[in-house]
Amino acid sequence: MAALTRNNVQVRGTGDRAMVFAHGFGCDQNMWRFVAPAFETEFKTVLFDHVGAGGSDLSAYEPAKYASLSGYAEDLVEIGAELGLKDAVFVGHSVSAMIGLLASLQAPELFESLVLVGPSPRYIDGGDYVGGFSETQIDELLDFLSQNYLGWSAAMAPAIMGNPERPELGAELTNSFCRTDPEIAKAFARVTFKSDNRADLAKVTKRALVLQCSEDIIAPTQVGEYVHRNMPGSELVLMRATGHCPNLSAPEETIAAIRAFV
Amino acid sequence: MSDDGADAGHGPPTESLEYLYENAPCGYLSLKPDGRIFKVNLTFAKWIGFTPDELVGRRLHDLLNIAGRIFYETHFAPLLRMQGFFNEVALDLVTREGRQLPVLVNATEKRDGEGRHLFTRLTAFNATDRRRYERELVEARAAAEAAQRELQARNAKVRNELLAEQAILLDERATAALREEFIAVLGHDLRNPLAAINAGMRLLLGTPLDDKAKLIVGMVQDSTTRMAGLIDNVMDFARGRLGGGLDVERNVAEPIEPVLRQVVSELQIAMPGRVIETDFTLTEPVHCDRRRIGQLASNLLGNALTHGAPDKPVKIGATTSDGWFELFVANAGEPIPPVVLQRIFEPFSRGTLAPGLQGLGLGLFISHEIAKAHGGTLEVVSTEAETRFTFRMPL
Repeated sequence: MAALTRNNVQVRGTGDRAMVFAHGFGCDQNMWRFVAPAFETEFKTVLFDHVGAGGSDLSAYEPAKYASLSGYAEDLVEIGAELGLKDAVFVGHSVSAMIGLLASLQAPELFESLVLVGPSPRYIDGGDYVGGFSETQIDELLDFLSQNYLGWSAAMAPAIMGNPERPELGAELTNSFCRTDPEIAKAFARVTFKSDNRADLAKVTKRALVLQCSEDIIAPTQVGEYVHRNMPGSELVLMRATGHCPNLSAPEETIAAIRAFV
Repeated sequence: MSDDGADAGHGPPTESLEYLYENAPCGYLSLKPDGRIFKVNLTFAKWIGFTPDELVGRRLHDLLNIAGRIFYETHFAPLLRMQGFFNEVALDLVTREGRQLPVLVNATEKRDGEGRHLFTRLTAFNATDRRRYERELVEARAAAEAAQRELQARNAKVRNELLAEQAILLDERATAALREEFIAVLGHDLRNPLAAINAGMRLLLGTPLDDKAKLIVGMVQDSTTRMAGLIDNVMDFARGRLGGGLDVERNVAEPIEPVLRQVVSELQIAMPGRVIETDFTLTEPVHCDRRRIGQLASNLLGNALTHGAPDKPVKIGATTSDGWFELFVANAGEPIPPVVLQRIFEPFSRGTLAPGLQGLGLGLFISHEIAKAHGGTLEVVSTEAETRFTFRMPL
């Protein structure tokens, strides 16, 4: 059960079908804390951390393997295999929307349907395509990450630990954020924001739901529409929720949209 | 009231909450759950060159650089939702003029009794110097890490070189052992048959022989002597060239002159028709290997007799003076061509003589090695008048 340990896999809930939740860049499986419990009565919920994030095994990080999103997709396929998952529902946020999409192409039996929350197949503008960012801006981000991790990794930790009202949350987050290796986070940022999976959209044969937030600066509305247009058999739901993380800012709306789809 | 709204009178200072809010030495922002500003203080607005009214209704994102926006959305906004606050987040505000203003931000979510998110309060501190310092720290750390990597790389390189040198050393030892074995075998296997031939000739001389047979035996003996000399040269060459170095046993107690005279007399016997003029003025002991110096003298004198004009004398002389031992051998005849002169001390370097007169081309090489082994020099000058080899070494 190597993948289950490596990716800190947590299985909860009851149900014949499984729902797999994948977190995006910048956080870990805690992203789903307001959403996943709502499905525990109908589904077996599977949560995990990508290698480098949260409670994953940092020593399993191999730069070559994780230099592309397909390396992360392989992990997802391995988790599915170790749990014996078949025809599960995949729910992926942000970059993990594409990771789940790639996994479904690698192992077609794994997922019956895909829920893509704030997906983007390409963050950088090019030709007629609007991704939301210029190449220069993404390079600035990567530079910012390397400049800012002192403040991030070292200074954030005590702040999170010092939450007196909810110590359990503090410990949880401390474990998660403190153990995120800044070097891995930088590499993950590069892989995420330089990725281009536009050509993969048309290959998807599964049912898919695109959840698009309002005013999402990471994955703007045109990008969600692009994904929907280029993925046959997909539905697009425009959410009232703003920002890039409806799973945190508008959990009820997110839950309702997923429930209606499955 | 002064410009900034403070009471400039002479009475005790007064504060109002409103005044504190607007002019506090930090920025205050209140955001609706959708991230839009609905209240902002004067200090914050001034920092980035706006009025508070201009900022109301804008999103916090709009005031950040692109990297900060992405970072805020992917890291800090989730954190704020999950734990209800964050502290000391580093962000860069973009001012009206497009400059960047580094700030540190604390934030808390205001929630109602059921945990519903009502609004978010942000406090921003101007952190230009601190952020610059932090950036320098990051750069210093990066430099230190680079230096450490460099150091590790160098250590690894040195370690590998050391291992390689050890391997070479072991290899050299193995080669040395092989060389000694080769030389021993060479000496044994070549000399033994030669000794057998010599012994046979001596036995023959003890039996009645006619004149022709005596002549042939003498020729065979000459040839075996010459052959023995060649084997010595090959062995010396093998020792010297294969890395073992010529073995030299220096001894100051025994005089050198008798050795030189012995060499002269041997060669005179071999070539009775030639004139050899000697001039030895040896007043001090010479710290040398007498056998090797004899070998050197024999090589030089043998060459001079072979290559020099047959009707002219060959001169050999040795002196000790001013802390130096000097030995020369000179002959008349054709000068050595410059092309040959250039490589004359290299092994297998032979002149342009008739084939019958050629040796292996090792004699001068070995002589030169002997000179070097004594810390001395062997030089040659060849003119129309004479060809002169001079060996010099410190006493």
